[in-house]
Amino acid sequence: MLRIQHVSKTYPNGTQALKDVSFDVADGEFMVVIGLSGSGKSTLLRCINRLIDPSEGKIYWNDTDVTSANAAELRNIRRNIGMVFQQFNLVKRSSVLTNVLSGRLGYANPWLSLLGIWPQEEKDRALKALARVGIAEKAFSRADALSGGQQQRVGIARALMQEPKIILADEPVASLDPVLSHSILQYLEVLNKEGITVICSLHFLDLVHRYATRVVALKDGMKVFEGSAKEIDRAKFKEIYGEEAQEVRAASF
Amino acid sequence: MENRLSTGKIIRNTLLAALIILALGISWNVTGVDFPRLIRDLPKGRNIVLAFLTPDLTTRETTTTTVSLAFPIPCGSAPEGEVLTSGPRLVPSVTCAEPKTKFTLEGFDLAPNSEIVIRWKLPDERIMTAIRVQSDEKGYFTANMEARPIAATANNISSRLEVDALTPVGGLKPSEAVQDVLAAMFVTIFMALLSTTLATIVAAPLSFLAASNITKRGPLGTLVYYFTRSIFNLLRSYDPLVMATVFGFWLSFGAFPGFLALSVVTVASLGKLFSEAVEGIDPGPLEALQATGANRLQMVIYGVVPQIVPDFISFIIYHWDINVRISTIIGFVGGGGIGYYLSERINGFEYSKAGTAIWAIVLVVMAMDFLSAEVRKRLS
Ligand SMILES: Nc1ncnc2c1ncn2[C@@H]1O[C@H](COP(=O)(O)OP(=O)(O)OP(=O)(O)O)[C@@H](O)[C@H]1O
Ligand SMILES: [Mg+2]
Repeated sequence: MLRIQHVSKTYPNGTQALKDVSFDVADGEFMVVIGLSGSGKSTLLRCINRLIDPSEGKIYWNDTDVTSANAAELRNIRRNIGMVFQQFNLVKRSSVLTNVLSGRLGYANPWLSLLGIWPQEEKDRALKALARVGIAEKAFSRADALSGGQQQRVGIARALMQEPKIILADEPVASLDPVLSHSILQYLEVLNKEGITVICSLHFLDLVHRYATRVVALKDGMKVFEGSAKEIDRAKFKEIYGEEAQEVRAASF
Repeated sequence: MENRLSTGKIIRNTLLAALIILALGISWNVTGVDFPRLIRDLPKGRNIVLAFLTPDLTTRETTTTTVSLAFPIPCGSAPEGEVLTSGPRLVPSVTCAEPKTKFTLEGFDLAPNSEIVIRWKLPDERIMTAIRVQSDEKGYFTANMEARPIAATANNISSRLEVDALTPVGGLKPSEAVQDVLAAMFVTIFMALLSTTLATIVAAPLSFLAASNITKRGPLGTLVYYFTRSIFNLLRSYDPLVMATVFGFWLSFGAFPGFLALSVVTVASLGKLFSEAVEGIDPGPLEALQATGANRLQMVIYGVVPQIVPDFISFIIYHWDINVRISTIIGFVGGGGIGYYLSERINGFEYSKAGTAIWAIVLVVMAMDFLSAEVRKRLS
């Protein structure tokens, strides 16, 4: 159980990206965060693993207070939370295998890992993770030799290496075409069915309907909706996305 | 309103132009620009240029017979040499001379059909080659000489006229100059390599401290960041030549102080380039690594290093190339290697040997230039 309580974030330049946001995520949910560009989705996801420190509020994961964890505790929390990014965030010049192995850094012997030495069982684990996302044969390619969809699958394999309880996915398909979007989200769906909690921000409402067990909508940093995707009627949609978006979006409804 | 504005502009621009012309005029004067001299002094330059163009590359195995004769300049400053009447001998038209007077020098019964090298052996034992002529089949030569002021008597010791007759025996082989130049060039290239290596070892870790995206976090990090930056900037403002002179006085001259000077300057310069490369990396992968629970050092090794290695290598090779050039110049102020060899040959009036060194420098610089461009092309 993840509990987000009265979280606010004000950036040093004064931008208030989150305003008193609270909601819970039960284990095993596929929670989708929606909202306009700039509404605070990325900020919210990054507060959960404290890539960004919230200015106010508390985040609890089970009984652990994430917000007050010290550096060592935080690394321990983080290795249980996988993260997938819109821009994949792979090290482009490194091999796919190294990228996947790096997901294991939080568990690895720090000194051996610095020398690039990995035990065989970890290499096997990485190859298995790659096989799960269907690109085992790419293990020794350079990451930037892969297509966007393949790179995102490497991103998922990297997250899998953490044996995560939670996966945070920040617009994981926004850089991919619609067909690939489904294939990537299906991988997340399978993992979710296996018990991993997924918190994912998305743009397209049809995807939201297809995958979300629950939806949180942000607008200007405030939570304006929480419920199932079905509950988002025209009025709610207008409230979340504003007047202008209405006509464009209505078609995809 | 508009008009007045543009009048102000015209006045300002006129003033600016006048200032620029004044500055250029002053520069012209202090530099002593005198292009006609290029033509007038051509004969002076010609011998040197000719010697440079005919570098000392090969020698024939020769037997050398040397005859010499004391020759006081001016007359009476030291005992005159005794002119022999038989055997291999030198016979000048005068046995002493005032500075700058001309005389002829004849040689008798030397090796026939040989190359004759005529030189001054100065009172301080330095050698100044005057001219080369050819002996005839009877071993005779004649040459026009001038009593050079530089060959004046010092401490009651007169200069000597020395003549080598070189009789070729056997085939061609690389000259002594070529061997010396190779050895000196070796020193220069490896001095540049070693200083670039040392500088890399020091600059690479420091450059992370001087990279804002790595270090500039919290008050301590910010302090470290500005401190390292300032050190780089401070060191960079020192010229390698000045630095080499300082180290030269400290450690006495030679390749070692030259190497140190070069290293210090290279640390600063590489440190700046490296830190800019670190600052230019894509932060995305770092964020991803941080999210996996990696610690800072792991983030650097897995996220930063792969992104910067090609840039670093290309900067290192580029600096090796630059350092070969700089260390040549540093040699002139006593830093050892090919530069030192060249300056010594020029000071000793051995222009053909200097020519050998200059050709070697040109070739090596061109080769390094080509190599470094080639490697960098391949890395990008
Ligand atoms: N590092 C930062 N410094 C200052 N302001 C920031 C920073 N990061 C984000 N913001 C601002 O905070 C607000 C929320 O940004 P955030 O990236 O969380 O939105 P988002 O919903 O993820 O948008 P998008 O759909 O474009 O990714 C925006 O107004 C943004 O400009
Ligand atoms: Mg975002």
